Amino acid sequence: MSKTMKMGMLGLILVIPSFLLLFVIVVIPIALSFVESLRNDAGGFDLSRYQFLFTDKAMRSNILFTLKVTIVSCVIVLIVSYALAVYMRFSSGRLVELIRKTYMIPIFIPGVIATYGLINLLGNHGWLSRFLLLIGITLPRIIFDQKGIIIANLWFNIPFTAMLLSSALAGIPNSVLESAKDVGAGRLRVFFQIVFPLSYKTFLVAATFVFMGVIGSFTAPFLVGPNAPQMLGVSMEQVFGVFQEREQAAAIAFFTFLLCSVLGYFYIRSMVKEETARL
Amino acid sequence: MLWYFRAIGTRKIIEFLLLIVFIVFFVSPLLNLVVLAFSGKWTYPDLLPHQWSLQWWKFVLQEDEIAKSIGLSFLIAALVTALSIVLCIPAAYAFARIRFPLSKVFLFSFLLTHAFPKMGLYVSIAVLFYKLGLMNTLLGVVLVHMINVLMFMTWIPTAAFRNVHSAQEESARDVGASPFRVFRSITLPMALPGIIVASVFTFLNSLDEAQGTFLVGIPDYRTMPIVMYSIIADFPGSAGAVFSIILTAPTIILLLAAQRFVSADVMSSGFQLK
Repeated sequence: MSKTMKMGMLGLILVIPSFLLLFVIVVIPIALSFVESLRNDAGGFDLSRYQFLFTDKAMRSNILFTLKVTIVSCVIVLIVSYALAVYMRFSSGRLVELIRKTYMIPIFIPGVIATYGLINLLGNHGWLSRFLLLIGITLPRIIFDQKGIIIANLWFNIPFTAMLLSSALAGIPNSVLESAKDVGAGRLRVFFQIVFPLSYKTFLVAATFVFMGVIGSFTAPFLVGPNAPQMLGVSMEQVFGVFQEREQAAAIAFFTFLLCSVLGYFYIRSMVKEETARL
Repeated sequence: MLWYFRAIGTRKIIEFLLLIVFIVFFVSPLLNLVVLAFSGKWTYPDLLPHQWSLQWWKFVLQEDEIAKSIGLSFLIAALVTALSIVLCIPAAYAFARIRFPLSKVFLFSFLLTHAFPKMGLYVSIAVLFYKLGLMNTLLGVVLVHMINVLMFMTWIPTAAFRNVHSAQEESARDVGASPFRVFRSITLPMALPGIIVASVFTFLNSLDEAQGTFLVGIPDYRTMPIVMYSIIADFPGSAGAVFSIILTAPTIILLLAAQRFVSADVMSSGFQLK
């Protein structure tokens, strides 16, 4: 056996076990849930489970609610994170230094804990309402409302998104920016013609993560969301766990895959391109 | 006072205020839990508790279920971390150093774990586990936890191995070190920071995982975050706050220990190829 053959075999042997695990816990479940979602009550195959998603009134409002919360969260998260990442990259000072050191901590804080903290802070008789009472403001209803879900999403997603973006911004060499300034480009021009083009790919990766993170979330909407309408993550869990309708739950799951498929496809394609460009 | 603000300029003041709002937004929910955990009596609308006390700590630590859940959570997190190190580190080494057929396809296949919304993926897995009889088993819970970590546990070490200059490995070979020796004394130590970050992140991720466990592990596998769900619903606020601190403590300790290695660059190499 030649040396390259031997190395090739070794490579495959090292990779196959983790790939097999991936196959069992991701590929097979997705394929299976697709098949299950096509199974109707009588045992035959048709699209009735999907039809239910659009004909059932509660389900339809769940879908619209999920899309609304997701889009609003995405827009706010991306704007704030990008601003934060740019700020951390191009500013200096003690406060910035402190933020640079600590902004990643929320990524590691358990989701349940952060949500619980927010419930106590923003609830009816929570800490914030006590402070606002001093200046005579009554807090609107945040917990058990879509505002609560959106705020929790901001808390979870901004640090992670800012982390991805600031690693992209760190890759832009100072020399490029300085030479642009030397030839007279203003701040805005530098941003739109250099900084943004050099980081927009990561920006789209970040957008994908936030979008899918929010659509597929459970903890925050389960704990702070309203009873109706529900986010799809919560509704899926109920259909599966409480009503024991596995086929219907599989259909909702597959529907969320479809909602994310464009972004998921883009994410994979841009990663593949990046890697092919290296070689 | 006014002349002072004018001197530093409105832009600076606005910038400062925005940063303060930002910091308060992230710190206040956690600070609130700390205050709550040590409060005895705290009635509305007082800003701070009348009485500080440790009564809720006693209460929480005496609950059997809570002690059990802490043990279970650490057991699962340790299993997940060990299993992912055994499976992913060799693969990462292969991706970084060995040319083999279809290596790109294998490398990208890990993207699949993060190309679908999580709860949808968990429900799909639950459908499969139901057929295989893996619902409410330790193996089932461990497998669900593996989904989240598989990608960065492979990619962060891959990036770390790639960053080791092959010139260093070659010069060690030139002076007569065996391939295994080169790996043990050159490659591994230099890639270790990345591996440590990935492992710590894996451990914390598993400790924190609630959604998948809630779907697959109920009713027997009640880890800390699952117990937290019911504490939120059934117990007074202070009990939940105490438990929150217990649940967050390992995170803080591990983060402090690994602080030197954790950076935006290393972390983000787990979610995108650069």
